[in-house]
Amino acid sequence: MRRRHLLAGLASVGALGGAGAVATGGVPDALGGGDAPEPIEPVTLDTIEAPGSRDGEVTLPAPDRPTFVDFFATWCKPCVEQMPDLAEAHDRIGDEALFVSVTPQDVGGSVSEEKVVNWWRENDGDWLVAADVTTALAARLNVGGYPSARAIDASGRVRWATSGTHTTEELVEGIERALDR
Amino acid sequence: MDRRTYLRSLAATGAATTTTATAGCLGVLGAGGAEGTVLGPPERDLSEASHPSYGDEMPHITVPDPITGEEVSTEGLEGERAVLWTSFYTNCPDGVCPALILRLRRAQEYAAEQGFGDEAAFLALTFDPERDTAEVLREYAGQRGVDLGAGNWHFLRPESYERGQELMDEEFGLVIEKRDADEYQNIEYRFPHVGIILLANEDGIVERVYPRGPQTDVERIVDDFERVVTA
Repeated sequence: MRRRHLLAGLASVGALGGAGAVATGGVPDALGGGDAPEPIEPVTLDTIEAPGSRDGEVTLPAPDRPTFVDFFATWCKPCVEQMPDLAEAHDRIGDEALFVSVTPQDVGGSVSEEKVVNWWRENDGDWLVAADVTTALAARLNVGGYPSARAIDASGRVRWATSGTHTTEELVEGIERALDR
Repeated sequence: MDRRTYLRSLAATGAATTTTATAGCLGVLGAGGAEGTVLGPPERDLSEASHPSYGDEMPHITVPDPITGEEVSTEGLEGERAVLWTSFYTNCPDGVCPALILRLRRAQEYAAEQGFGDEAAFLALTFDPERDTAEVLREYAGQRGVDLGAGNWHFLRPESYERGQELMDEEFGLVIEKRDADEYQNIEYRFPHVGIILLANEDGIVERVYPRGPQTDVERIVDDFERVVTA
């Protein structure tokens, strides 16, 4: 099962051609198929008041349920292309995991919250969106290019890590890997 | 194409690299490592690579910072700041550069949190000075969350593309070539390159080279950097 998923993951990276996934090598070494990755220590981030989202805080990964994190940035063009598939994946499986998009930008500092909200609205985001202004979460999840995705199981272990754009199917399959356990 | 450049850079070994003894030295600061290093030898010996590696001197370069208007010299930082260095360009289409910049930025953020920001310098050298003007770099810094106000981050912008190419080749052993970029819609040309991060201690000795910088674990870099800075 694991092996089949790994191969499928590699194939999808190949299909992306010159995009982010190739450049950043996709799955980090630390995930190279090892059976027991270490749990990720949670980080609390501020969330943003935007469609589908609210002003507040969120702890990621969630301590007691699977978590899906999409890393995006407002300067990232492939992130725009990724949004319809993310929305579709959210519709299909968003209830089964904490589904959140996170920008590592300095929101409220060099990038205004309004800019992020506008981007979110223009790209039809409709789920939780948070700001990782210190990049603490991006560091823990070893983010390379954008977009990047991580599916984390209820025990805080990363079960799917990838970068570059993906189809709805790939996203759903990736998230399902974190639901199995 | 990336791959070819990488292989070439690996093949061009020897002459330029000053290899230091790796074992048995009485390190000035640490035990068991090369002379003058804080960290022990890396897991993987990269001393045969064309780029600087563990125990080598950090290349002495002097390059303008177009935002502060200073000439930044790596030699001038010696005795004062440990250095994280990388090379990039803002039009980088493939995710390598954002990953490199994120790693330096995270280290900058962490240094500020831990109060050692004044003992650190973050040097991001663009090899595309034609497009990466002061204005472009300033905007880029804002988008990426780089703290230019901390006084420890310098974008280095060589006087010309040729000068940057020469610096990269002669000082860092990295080959940069301008290529057309037909496969990307928004840019005319690009630079396939190896994403490297160098960590040098305040005495200007290379402690680590991360040859696959974009994939290297962010927390590992930050942790190595902290150990070097606070030694």
